[in-house]
Amino acid sequence: MPILALCGVLSITGLVYGFVNEAISLALEAATPYVEQGFEVREDNWSGEVEPGKPLLIRHQLFRGNEYWFWAGTSWPGATIKVDVFDNEGNSVGLESFAKDSFAGVRTLPQKTATYFIRVVASYDKEGKGLTAAERGANDPVDGVGEFSGSLDWGLVYGYR
Amino acid sequence: MIEMSRRLPSSLLHLTAILVVLVGATTPGKAQSETEAAAPERIDLTNFPGELVDKVVVPIPAEIFAVLDKLDEPDWDSGIELPGENAPGRDRAILALIFGSLVGEGFIAVQAKNSDEIQKIGRRVLSLSESLGLAGAVRPHSLAIIEAAGKSDWEKVRDELDATQQTVRTTMESLRDDELSGLVSLGGWLRGTNVVTAFISNSFSEDKAELLNQPGLIAHFRTMLGSMKGPSGKSPQIRAISTGLARLESIITQGTNLAEEDVNQLRDISRAMLDEYYFVKP
Repeated sequence: MPILALCGVLSITGLVYGFVNEAISLALEAATPYVEQGFEVREDNWSGEVEPGKPLLIRHQLFRGNEYWFWAGTSWPGATIKVDVFDNEGNSVGLESFAKDSFAGVRTLPQKTATYFIRVVASYDKEGKGLTAAERGANDPVDGVGEFSGSLDWGLVYGYR
Repeated sequence: MIEMSRRLPSSLLHLTAILVVLVGATTPGKAQSETEAAAPERIDLTNFPGELVDKVVVPIPAEIFAVLDKLDEPDWDSGIELPGENAPGRDRAILALIFGSLVGEGFIAVQAKNSDEIQKIGRRVLSLSESLGLAGAVRPHSLAIIEAAGKSDWEKVRDELDATQQTVRTTMESLRDDELSGLVSLGGWLRGTNVVTAFISNSFSEDKAELLNQPGLIAHFRTMLGSMKGPSGKSPQIRAISTGLARLESIITQGTNLAEEDVNQLRDISRAMLDEYYFVKP
């Protein structure tokens, strides 16, 4: 994934269309292929900033009879993200998942209508292991610009069918 | 791309289109071939070593309607009940509730595939947004709803209804009107819940009744109304809705199957709550 190119595109579109939440944009990018499979992606979503490695837990109402995908994204170069789903007793109920660099997804078919818990973990290797030279270069601060602030952006969207 | 444009949030379509062209879309097959995310089999929810996110995303009525359509063939047309055009008053809290319920009405009309009613609702949504001072943000969505209904593009109508509600809520939040934003969600949820209870009452089954098992959402709405500041929070309508939510909560207890009589009560209570601000007699 040419993440820098992506960030550049997002920045340009941000200038044209106003504020863009880049983490949400990446989560929506991960959702795109599933839209073709009939998933309706909701407009509402969750986002924020978090310390690397600190898990986030999100409560959400799901309905038995629907199938759900949750997609997560983070835009910091070199950061990774994971997403899992659990029932209200803490049991994993994800049927299928993927995690690729800056976005991830998990699918579930709820066995009952209830509150479920979505766990999101955004991580970042400050040493830059696994990054390309160009990506490592992007992390070098230039007068404070591009310096890692200690928190990562994250976004989560979902779809149902 | 056409199919995609029907289902992706419309406010981000332009961005997605650019990303697909310049970056390349990830296919499901490719995604699954990457590292399978290893999830723990179980987590301790009582001692979670992280942060619980406060934000509650309220499901749109269409999510529940989709399940009901899989279980039965409801006569959605009979569920449409657009109230008369009374002067809505000036209390912004009540206007926000009406707005949410009107969007909920739109979701019912989409399920019924009733173009005329959807177009009426689209115009009513625009009119109400003027009372809320949000017409500029809502107008493009209203026009899109009306146009898509004319073309019988139901998925587009559904997306635009979701986008309308989201735009209004985001605009309210940007104006630090978080209370109003929550009331929009409550209005939509209440209208959707009422029509679902009415259909389940007409043709009861335990599978359908399980759809009403939403204690977390009711608790969220109760907390929200309980923390309302200013005179709106003490208005007779808001107090009546708070009482109604407490009654709904007493019936919906997690882990207990709802009986037919329970569903009838939920229908009557939710109707009485809507009578406070939406189905108001002139």
